[in-house]
Amino acid sequence: MNLPKLNKDQAKKVFLSTMGFVFLLYVYFTFFLGPLNKSRHDTQAKIADRQHKLDTSKSEMQKAVNLERQAKDATARFTALKALSPEGAPIAWFPPRMKSFFADQRIDKAVARLESNAGFKEPELSDWVKYNWVIELPQADYTTLGRAIAELENTEPLLCINKLSIHLVPDQAQFQQIAIAATTVIQKR
Amino acid sequence: MALHLNLLHEEISEQRQRQRDPLKIGVMVLAACGVLLFLYYAWNAYETLAIKSRLSAIEQDWAKIEPKVTAAQKRSAELTNIINTTRVLDNYIDNRFFWAPLLEKISRCVAPNAQLTTIEGNMLDDNKGVTVNIEGVAAAREPRSAAEDLRQMLLEQLGQTYSEVKVEFKSLEDVDTVAKIGDANTPMARYTIAVTFKTASAPKPEPTPARSKRKNESS
Repeated sequence: MNLPKLNKDQAKKVFLSTMGFVFLLYVYFTFFLGPLNKSRHDTQAKIADRQHKLDTSKSEMQKAVNLERQAKDATARFTALKALSPEGAPIAWFPPRMKSFFADQRIDKAVARLESNAGFKEPELSDWVKYNWVIELPQADYTTLGRAIAELENTEPLLCINKLSIHLVPDQAQFQQIAIAATTVIQKR
Repeated sequence: MALHLNLLHEEISEQRQRQRDPLKIGVMVLAACGVLLFLYYAWNAYETLAIKSRLSAIEQDWAKIEPKVTAAQKRSAELTNIINTTRVLDNYIDNRFFWAPLLEKISRCVAPNAQLTTIEGNMLDDNKGVTVNIEGVAAAREPRSAAEDLRQMLLEQLGQTYSEVKVEFKSLEDVDTVAKIGDANTPMARYTIAVTFKTASAPKPEPTPARSKRKNESS
């Protein structure tokens, strides 16, 4: 291809035109098309995100409905377990409750003392606290004691007896002195 | 062949020169490119606007549904927490050691010629086992044999329910005092028996939340 021979003035003009073209492209891509494409990509990413949320939201709501159905028993049981601990500090209500419980079992003068309390390691029980008690029964006969302990273990599911000490009362062979070390699990209030 | 004389040669070449002016051609090319680029930009802008309008519609939908979804997620988390807590509490309840059946079994082992003076029961850590110290006296013509009968009985009775049962004498000694059974004076022996056993015999299946917890039916 034979290009026409350019004189100096023409070459200068060609150079200027080329420069102008390059500048035009730079301005176009940097200040117009670039931001527009960026904005479009951002919007598309937002659409994808929202769309994903919308898609998963249906399954989330369905999951919640199913879980509600499945958790019916657990919720009722949880409520029942929570109801075992009244409001207020355990030291205020647990000793009277024990006294009254053993009195109902025909064991008088029951005394419950708080030894210590501690949290649980399990994260599921972060809202629950272990209370260690010593329950002293100064006088009870063996059969009555056995029945009372069975009743206690059955009616207080969150109570666990760790130590049991039964000693003969020196002067009265038919009676025993009892010390019970028990742990109760109580929800934090 | 006719002879042509071009008398306007200079004017024509000047006109051609003007038409071939590189700056003019460059400007024209630039303008054409500018138009093309503008059209491309306009098309892109139109598409972007359409996408933004779609985003706006989706955001409106999301705004309508979001409170419900957030509430559902919160409720799901709450229910999951309740289920997990109940499961752990149920495990705790199921793994308790029940003392009343043990007391009943001990009471069954004590013959009329034996008396228990002390029972000290301890649950080992993590419900792995139980130790019981039993002190008492036995009265018989052969008091040591009566104490051994008690030990054997304990071993047999506890072995029916618990695993790895060990019943051993820590001490067994004759005492000077005698018991009066009927009209006869009977020699006595004092003993201390150490009992150890494991409570959990086999791994338990995962309990269901609705399971009944009333399993201690002794006495």
